[in-house]
Amino acid sequence: MHEQTIPDRLKISPYLIFYAIMSMQIGLGAMDFQRLIAKYAGYDAWISILFVGACLHIILWMMYKIVETVNGDIVTAHMYVAGNYLGKVLSFPFILYFLVHSLATLRTFIEIIQVWIFPDLSIFWFTLGFMLLCMYIVFGGLRTVVGISFFGLVLPAYLLLTFGFNLPYSNFGSILPILDHSVKDLLKSSFHMSLSFIGIEIVLFLYPFIKEPQKSKKWAHLAILTTTLLYAVFAIMTFAYFSEGQLQKAIWPTLMMWKILKLSFVERFEFIGIANWNLIILPNVCFSIWIGSRLVKKIFNIKQKKGVYLFIITHMAIITFIHTRKEISLLNSMMAKIGFAFIMLYIPLLFIAVQIAKKVKRK
Amino acid sequence: MLLKNPTHNLSNNGNHKNNVRNDGDESMKSWFQNKRAQGDTKQENWIQTLAKSEDLKQTFYNNQKTNIRFSLTFLTTLVDEKIIEQSILTSLLDNDFHSIDDLKRIVPIGDIQTCNDPSKIEENLCNGYVLVTIETEEQYFGFIAAKKEIGRGITSPEVEISVIGPKEAFVESIATNLNLIRRRLPVKELIIEEFTIGSLSKTKIAFLHMEGITNQENVNTVRQRLKDVEFDAVTDSSYIVQIISDNSNSPFPQLLDTERPDRVAAVLAEGMIAICVDGSPQVLLTPTTLVDFFSSFEDYYLNWIIASFFRLLRVSAVTFSIMVTPLYVAVLTYHYEIIPHDLLSTLITSRRIVPLPPVLEAIILELTIELLREAGARLPTKVGQTIGIVGGIVIGTASVEAGLTSNVLLILVALAALASFTTPIYKMSNTIRLLRFPFLFFAYLWGLVGIVFCLCILLTHLIRLTSLGRPFLEPFYPTRWTDLQDSLIRFPFKERAMRPQYLRTEKPYRYSKKKASIKKDIDE
Repeated sequence: MHEQTIPDRLKISPYLIFYAIMSMQIGLGAMDFQRLIAKYAGYDAWISILFVGACLHIILWMMYKIVETVNGDIVTAHMYVAGNYLGKVLSFPFILYFLVHSLATLRTFIEIIQVWIFPDLSIFWFTLGFMLLCMYIVFGGLRTVVGISFFGLVLPAYLLLTFGFNLPYSNFGSILPILDHSVKDLLKSSFHMSLSFIGIEIVLFLYPFIKEPQKSKKWAHLAILTTTLLYAVFAIMTFAYFSEGQLQKAIWPTLMMWKILKLSFVERFEFIGIANWNLIILPNVCFSIWIGSRLVKKIFNIKQKKGVYLFIITHMAIITFIHTRKEISLLNSMMAKIGFAFIMLYIPLLFIAVQIAKKVKRK
Repeated sequence: MLLKNPTHNLSNNGNHKNNVRNDGDESMKSWFQNKRAQGDTKQENWIQTLAKSEDLKQTFYNNQKTNIRFSLTFLTTLVDEKIIEQSILTSLLDNDFHSIDDLKRIVPIGDIQTCNDPSKIEENLCNGYVLVTIETEEQYFGFIAAKKEIGRGITSPEVEISVIGPKEAFVESIATNLNLIRRRLPVKELIIEEFTIGSLSKTKIAFLHMEGITNQENVNTVRQRLKDVEFDAVTDSSYIVQIISDNSNSPFPQLLDTERPDRVAAVLAEGMIAICVDGSPQVLLTPTTLVDFFSSFEDYYLNWIIASFFRLLRVSAVTFSIMVTPLYVAVLTYHYEIIPHDLLSTLITSRRIVPLPPVLEAIILELTIELLREAGARLPTKVGQTIGIVGGIVIGTASVEAGLTSNVLLILVALAALASFTTPIYKMSNTIRLLRFPFLFFAYLWGLVGIVFCLCILLTHLIRLTSLGRPFLEPFYPTRWTDLQDSLIRFPFKERAMRPQYLRTEKPYRYSKKKASIKKDIDE
């Protein structure tokens, strides 16, 4: 393999993969996943969350197997399986994947700001500001991106405590009886849970940048476990707080839950929550841009900086054309489907392909 | 060479003062003319330049025993005439004096150098040496140190004040400063390396580290950066800070400057590197992290519980100081829904007659406070205090009564100003005072979202920042548990067996952890 080696000073400590995965997973999905999954599986949907979480552990194991076998990232894996030229062609769609990912994240966030805080917020100027910030971060290298993901997870963590104010108004009996939905319903809701879980695929791209990658495995699994439990507990709390009919009417149940909170100096806590969400989605967009531009660099052999500019220009060009709730919703469901296909279908396929290629090459 | 020309007429009894001066000037001129004739241009240049200064003196004497003719050349502004009269002249005139090499035997002064390199003359003359030449040895020079030491005595710290602990502070003289440090670390491991920096100022710089503890890579980096400094006049350590910082386009100081010798000694023992600059009462410490700038050294003299309380207080004060006016602007401009009824009525009452938008109101008040601070700092102490108090009270009350600002904001801004002064390192408190203005701008632009947005920029900047290549935000990112124990909370000394990890010291442990952690049972 003519893999370019990455100097140690640019690599990240293995435990940081925990923050990277978690912050990539927890993004905008956390605003409305409760409604989406309850639509199909009702208040049994928390079982779907646990189910998806369990599946992801297997997927993660496969991803590590893939990158360990080829000792590189997904582009190396593609080249390993399909040769140099075809490998690059196979990797190209992932640039679009991450482009759509960051677009969907950013546009949905802007939508929330527009709906809840500033109806007149200029999409163009906000995106420009956000993109310049992302550029500043991505130009700092992966260490900076991971640093932002660390703070994007740790600093807003206090928001979890604020949901404690909902407990006195909750009725945990409402999730009973357990398992009154069919397996098909549960699987359907699992499918809709996937948008909230998208993010573990970054292991495929970050692997060459991890110091002592063997040690990062446990952190990656721990990250998935934590996210799964977090989502499950949060879903149960939501189900206990809303009635089933009410939940379907709440577009962003998480924001609705904050409405009950009242302190002597703060009301309408969702404003603070939304502002904090800026810090939560920032690593999502930055990782997408970093990975996307990295792919551009590897596939087209141009400087990564140019890839970043390309990403930013594309964002600016596309985002102003997405206006209505319908379009945004379409973008998100498209993203969920692509993400599902990538993680649940493509990765196992690639895993098998790599295993076969390994056997063939050994002979 | 120096005394070759026999044409100058000199009086032989040179210890008569009046005579000597005129005599010296005369002889110098002819000497220089003679030199020019010899055509050694390089050497000539400095002699010509130096001769223009009135303070260069050369006098000739005859030894009373051997009757050998010798001359003394020196800069009167740099040397101590008492030393010349009492130690040098008496011993040179009265003793057996044949050659330059005799100097070490007969002159009772420790620092005597001899050499045959004329290029050394300029450097040594400018460093307060007396040049001795004799007629028989033209190309051999003797130098006797007779430097005049003028400087203020050691006083108590003025910027980093502590109630408990040592009250000594550094002064301008590098020798005194090094003495203060060396006295606190009287071991052979403390290495002092000296450089001269500045093509004009020839500033002496000492760079200190502990052999066997300090990371060699750090030492090499600092040495290299100091050697690479090219600047004409370095008059203070702040110049060095700005020149050798990793990122000079950052408002954050990346080298810590302190005036406390106890702090320097303690962090040297931890594995940091100290840089002393002659003429500067501030010693630089590197590499540093953000946390260092929020720890007063008094924290280590107090019990860990109390010290931790003060540290937390300081950090929350700083956060408050940066955030409070932007929050006021954001909330009152866009998100008044956030404020509960009762509080809102208080705010509205105080803002009822204010015609300005919150952002203008905040900027005007913030600038007023900045003006008071700047005026207070520039004015003489006594006037400054009066201006501060009178100005603060008069301007504050009057502007509220005139309806230009609200009471609430006045209180907030004054508190924020107070809070910003809790930072123990002065340079950091400047940074903190500056930071609120971008926050104000973003708060006005996008409300609370803007504040978080600006926070993201600040975080990114801090993550990208390094000090000597070590991450500035350590121990938060990258997270290091042992270093976290001395960050927001200062753990007791018995828990702190490790030296700071980010310093990558060669000896990671300060003392044996095993001995410290023996636990006793009840009644043993």
